[in-house]
Amino acid sequence: MSRHGVIALIPEDCTSCMLCVRECPAWCITLESHTEQVDKADARRPRTINVLDQFTIDYGLCMYCGICIEVCPFDALEWRGDVDYSTVSRVDLDQGMDILAAWG
Amino acid sequence: MTRYRLRDEPGVAVELLNLGLACCSLEVEAAVGSGALASEVGTERSPDSTVLLVSGTVTHALAPAVLRAWERAAEQGPVRVLAFGACATSGGPYWDAPSVVPGVDALIPVSRYVPGCPPGPDSLIAALRREVA
Repeated sequence: MSRHGVIALIPEDCTSCMLCVRECPAWCITLESHTEQVDKADARRPRTINVLDQFTIDYGLCMYCGICIEVCPFDALEWRGDVDYSTVSRVDLDQGMDILAAWG
Repeated sequence: MTRYRLRDEPGVAVELLNLGLACCSLEVEAAVGSGALASEVGTERSPDSTVLLVSGTVTHALAPAVLRAWERAAEQGPVRVLAFGACATSGGPYWDAPSVVPGVDALIPVSRYVPGCPPGPDSLIAALRREVA
């Protein structure tokens, strides 16, 4: 018996486009970002990029449907790990960026 | 209430009170069917652990029954509660429905939360093992 594990984030590939947040049927993803101006000598108008500040998945709500993984244009989300994931506290199921990036 | 023995922890007898309130309960049956949980019938030996397994959506209509089941089990001794699946954990996809309790921990103390919609039978076994072994 082998199934999916948990959903992991690759923060450096995330462009904060919000597609996963909007497509999630369980509304379990939150994303915070800000924009920064990029200095480009030949740019004719100010150029900005999104910078990811925080990304959380509330596994208490997540349905493991994988729509966020499917919809991500930059493959910044992926299946990882195994099925042995449970916690003794409800708030610990709300996982931030550091844990989403690190778990293996 | 059924008594089971975890195949990988043969010394541990688990009294499993299965509150199958919705589709997650099918995963519990799958776990039993997989052989990882062996049911134990007619033994005199008292269980090592009593686990109240809440699998499924807890509605306000069912809340008194869930509370009563827990109270009845708690009278016999310590009970560990497994919130199995997103509904029992937080209300799941129905967290904003007025008829749904957003997590069984609003009614009774939960010792372990198993995420998933549904979590698979292997997740149940893994969580049970962590809880009782």
